[in-house]
Amino acid sequence: MSVFWARNRLIVLAYVAMVALLLITARFSPGFLSESNLRSTLVLAAFVGIVALGQTFVIIGGGIDLSLPWVLNCAAIIMTLLAGSQDLPLLWIVPLVLAGAAGIGLINGIGVALFGVPPIIMTLATNVILQGLILVYTGGSPTPSAPPLIEYLAVGRIGAFPVIAILWAVLALIASLLLSKAAFGRHLYALGTSRTVAEFSGVPTQRTTILTYVISGLTAAVGGMLLTGYSGQAYLGMGDPYLFTSIAAVAIGGASILGGSGHYIGTVAGALVLTILSGLLPALNLSSGALLVVYGAVILLTVAVGSETLSDLGGLLFRRWRRD
Amino acid sequence: MTAMADQQEATTPGTSRERSRAISWALDRAPFLVACLMLVVIVAIYGTLQRDVFSLEEINLDVTATLTLLLAATGQTIVLIRGGIDLSIGGMISFGTVLAATQFGSDPGSVLLWSVIILCIGFAVGALNGLMISVLRLQPFLITLATWSILSGISLIILPTDGGQVPAFWSGFGGAQFLGLASPVWLLVLLMLFWFWFRSTRLGIAIKATGSNEKSAFLSGVSLTRINVVTYGLSGLFAAAAALYLTTQTGAGSPTIGKDYILPSVAAAVIGGVSLFGGRGSLAGTVIGALILTIIGNLVFVLHISSYWQPVASGVILLLAVLASSIAEKAARSDEQ
Repeated sequence: MSVFWARNRLIVLAYVAMVALLLITARFSPGFLSESNLRSTLVLAAFVGIVALGQTFVIIGGGIDLSLPWVLNCAAIIMTLLAGSQDLPLLWIVPLVLAGAAGIGLINGIGVALFGVPPIIMTLATNVILQGLILVYTGGSPTPSAPPLIEYLAVGRIGAFPVIAILWAVLALIASLLLSKAAFGRHLYALGTSRTVAEFSGVPTQRTTILTYVISGLTAAVGGMLLTGYSGQAYLGMGDPYLFTSIAAVAIGGASILGGSGHYIGTVAGALVLTILSGLLPALNLSSGALLVVYGAVILLTVAVGSETLSDLGGLLFRRWRRD
Repeated sequence: MTAMADQQEATTPGTSRERSRAISWALDRAPFLVACLMLVVIVAIYGTLQRDVFSLEEINLDVTATLTLLLAATGQTIVLIRGGIDLSIGGMISFGTVLAATQFGSDPGSVLLWSVIILCIGFAVGALNGLMISVLRLQPFLITLATWSILSGISLIILPTDGGQVPAFWSGFGGAQFLGLASPVWLLVLLMLFWFWFRSTRLGIAIKATGSNEKSAFLSGVSLTRINVVTYGLSGLFAAAAALYLTTQTGAGSPTIGKDYILPSVAAAVIGGVSLFGGRGSLAGTVIGALILTIIGNLVFVLHISSYWQPVASGVILLLAVLASSIAEKAARSDEQ
């Protein structure tokens, strides 16, 4: 029990925070706990959660992916442009877009793992390059509306459950299995904890690093394509909010930004916390600017809670208390 | 890059000590020399496409266009030399323009007062970044990412869309001339003078030493907390200065404009030979880097291709510069071992 607590303290805390937030929000806006509102919260959280999936892998491996916004945006724009609101072309478009996103992830990963470029710079640069390229490609003109199938996946329902929530659950299951059961997961934690030790223990560090960025590109693209179904079409800048939310979701979920710890189960709670928060603020008459302030504060707070200094301090106080 | 390789090869016959000294000299200078060469080539191309490139007027225009980026990049250079990175300038620049555009009024006294207040806020926010990085022992990018988000949010609360205004004499700053040179050029001269003084002060040396090797700097009696507070404070201060200068150009405030300067500020420094791994670089290189980025923008304009190519070009050049410096860094490390 104590081992479980020590290992998953932050993840449990994230879920406690989520329930607390849910109750607080329900106090301020009475209709919040209604079935339809919970469902729409779940749908919005699913987008954050899917995009943050790749970010979780990258961060556990000790990196960071700042190219998410425009990978997401490019995937959304290219998919809607090529599909022209038709379902049938999706058969070749979706694999094409996913391959492209994986390619971007591959480039990020190779830059970081093989050439030693700091992840922040590498991914920030690909982000800017993608932004420029997609603007050149579209010339800034609007795109056709999303194909009906994508729309069904984003806003449709099976019984009481939104389709996208089921998709999210499946992805979460795959991610959890990868992290907890597969050799890749063990390699990833080893790599994030200490690169040198991992290398000497025979972990394929370069391959593992590259793979995390590929996964991150893929989930950003999936999130982007699904998001067009929710908003009706693709638009420039639609990925920008996901830069902060994906990192904040991972941080709230208890992953150490220094790498080596954390789990996607925590990120799921992080995505839900952020979405409930974004529902709470309008109820308090606060604007979208306030949301950014809260995201920043949440990142600072959660990393402070997980930081060495504060846990040192906590340990010190605990020992004092036991001695008395 | 080839110049660097040549120099490294030329020194192989010497003893290992001479060799490592020669390599460190090459590592210190080569990126800067490559950047100068790149600037010459780009200016030459630009000169063949456009008339009157080699004139005082063109220098005035280019420096006027570069100065916002350059001021932001000056702070970033100091932080990079210390071995960190500051993403919060994206929020600070937005916040500075928003404050200026909403608070200045028309009275010169209040303009002066608010300029000083904005600069102080810049330093204070940066110093807070540095303090948190030291006290919480966390990676700089994470702390500055969080403050970037917070500052952007506050800017959006104060001014939801682009707007506000600054007095006419304030927007006329860039057009004022003295001895044929526009005021931004004189600011650039001041900036360089500041740097030549700053780099040899105790603080300047301590920052470089800390970026080069944190442990040995600490053992030599440098207070890491103090260094972090001052470096990030200066970065915030220069971001605020960039914001003030930006309002003289645009005449308005924008709550979202700052994020466009984050990557270019790093790019200008790295293209100019500032190492992303700390300890190496100078403001002269950053000036060259910023000019390269600006003239590439001019080239895109002269060639009548879509202006969206400009970020693509600067992103690619940044990646090439970073690749070169990463490979050089790896070579230097394996040489030391």
